[in-house]
Amino acid sequence: MDWSSVFGGAALIPLLNAAIRLAIPTGLAAVGESFCQRAGVLNLSLEGMMLSGALTSYLGAYYSGSLWVGVPAGIGGGLLVGVLMALFTLQFKTEQVINGIVLVLLAQAGTSFTFEKLFGDLTLTGRFEPMGNWKIPGLASIPGVGTVLFDQSPLVYLSVVLIWGIWYLLNRTTFGLAVRAVGDKPAAADAAGISVYRTRWLAILISGAMAGLGGVVLVIGQLGMFMQNVTAGRGWVAIALVIFGRWRPLRVMAGALLFGLTDAIQLRIQAASGGIESDVPFELFQAMPYLVTIAVVVFASARARKSGEPEALGRPFFKGAQI
Amino acid sequence: MIAKTDLRKEFELPALARWMLAVFGALATGGILLALVGANPIDAYIEMVQGTFGSMFDLSLVLTEMIPLVIIGLGLVIAFRARIWNIGAEGQFMFGALVGGAFALHVPIGSPFLAIPIVLVVGAASGALWGALVAVARVRWQVNEVISSLLLNYVALFIFAYAVRKPLRDPGGFQPTSERIPDQFVLADVPVDQIRVHIGIIFALLLVPLVSFLVNRSPFGLRATMFGMNPEAAQAAGVHTSRMTVRIMLLSGAFAGLAGIIQVMGSELRLSNNMSTGFGFTAIVVALISRLRPIGVVVAAALLGALTLGGDVIQRTQQVPRVLTMVIQAIFVLFLLLADRRKDR
Repeated sequence: MDWSSVFGGAALIPLLNAAIRLAIPTGLAAVGESFCQRAGVLNLSLEGMMLSGALTSYLGAYYSGSLWVGVPAGIGGGLLVGVLMALFTLQFKTEQVINGIVLVLLAQAGTSFTFEKLFGDLTLTGRFEPMGNWKIPGLASIPGVGTVLFDQSPLVYLSVVLIWGIWYLLNRTTFGLAVRAVGDKPAAADAAGISVYRTRWLAILISGAMAGLGGVVLVIGQLGMFMQNVTAGRGWVAIALVIFGRWRPLRVMAGALLFGLTDAIQLRIQAASGGIESDVPFELFQAMPYLVTIAVVVFASARARKSGEPEALGRPFFKGAQI
Repeated sequence: MIAKTDLRKEFELPALARWMLAVFGALATGGILLALVGANPIDAYIEMVQGTFGSMFDLSLVLTEMIPLVIIGLGLVIAFRARIWNIGAEGQFMFGALVGGAFALHVPIGSPFLAIPIVLVVGAASGALWGALVAVARVRWQVNEVISSLLLNYVALFIFAYAVRKPLRDPGGFQPTSERIPDQFVLADVPVDQIRVHIGIIFALLLVPLVSFLVNRSPFGLRATMFGMNPEAAQAAGVHTSRMTVRIMLLSGAFAGLAGIIQVMGSELRLSNNMSTGFGFTAIVVALISRLRPIGVVVAAALLGALTLGGDVIQRTQQVPRVLTMVIQAIFVLFLLLADRRKDR
């Protein structure tokens, strides 16, 4: 196997470019999740939100013939799971952890069912060309950095803006203050006149929209197709990255970039290994993004002096209950 | 306020009625979905029942499908009672199958009376080891077990895929699978006329009273339940919480690993990538709809085992994707959560 095609000098720029591209779907979901957890809701349905968004964006783009239609369609798919998560967690007050896990199972089964019914089987039907890159004039011609950062899909630029937007919303607005208050001291926030339910509803929906958009970027921006469990655990990785980033959106995004880099390296090794008879244990490299995720979470948790975890994370709020 | 609460409590249905209501709700929703895709729901359900309980042959298939679900489900009941959310059973199952299977393929033991128990122990121990990683990450570094157990599934699946593609590959096979395990490691069928199911079903059913005793009657079970309800209070009452977490994950993983190696020795007879149809995830549903009761696990496994095989039937007869049955399973849990939610809040 030719390792220079993976790590060689000429391969470096495309590798970093791919790392950013691959980081975005997970990054969007992870940043949205960090926002939701700051409001005190442990949203484990993230993988289901991404998957649902991936399917609806695929269907939107496929049936309309326009890739851009897939964008709102995918956000809608993520919101759909978000509404269910909010209903069960906030309205019915059933166990958050179970709600999340079961909604992932429901989304996995539901998306497979819909896709298989519409397209006959779960293999490669109805592929389309994913969205092309927009080179930003001027900036893209900077040697090295230009190609890495400014020769990306427009969805990548949109995502970066939104990720920054979530940071801004959380840290620089009154709504963000309410979100943080509700996540740390819901009873106090309630006493101050903030509606805990409304704030948490919005936080879950924002997380659904972001994860749905993650599904969009995966399908419309990268693959141009849908298949069973196309998100392959990225939603779970995203939740891990929230812990890695100590619930701060921009640190969480830094974790996503690390995941993207590992994924890009892994894909290259797989491509260079030469298929099923290869002596290269490429499966072990395929496991690498997941292993690295576990490793960085352990590292970040072991090193953290203060937890940074929202105090009321995962705890339901009962208005008027004795504290 | 108080009066209202009391009133609502009085009208609370008994547990079994709520469970039946959830079954009905799930099947009704499934029926609507069937009608939406142009099938006849009544026919489909009749065909599913006929195709799963209609003959001894079909019944045998249901029983075989139940074996991994019961064993993994029991392990998950132990974990979920302590509110340790192990969703890594799929990986623990595959890891148990892999290490146990590799042992059976490479360690020559002549007598089945020696070979079978040894391999069962190896499989269970491997699953326990894979589960223990999750516990160690939680007690040493406060890593949420949901995340670590789920991510470790992928790691186990990829290790498995490598093992059957390279070191354990059957050189004569086209697919990446291992060779057949030697005869002395194969589990026999139960000696009952017309029923074709291997003796794994007996292991599975014997585990039910054991787990029942463990979670309901033993001091360990009591401490685990206390730990689940309120970890701080349990610790104050003298429960060693990290030791508890490790033990529970060891047990839960051991059950999944045991299910994996039994699947190899009784059903698959070789290691292959598609040996699990998602048993580890279906078992989560089994444990949840058992309401964390060991006897309930048997009922739930029979129901979901039949549902899964019924999915194959309606795929043939009604051209409905079999994955519909997994939609019904998830909806079932959601309805049960709704029916069981505490009304006094």
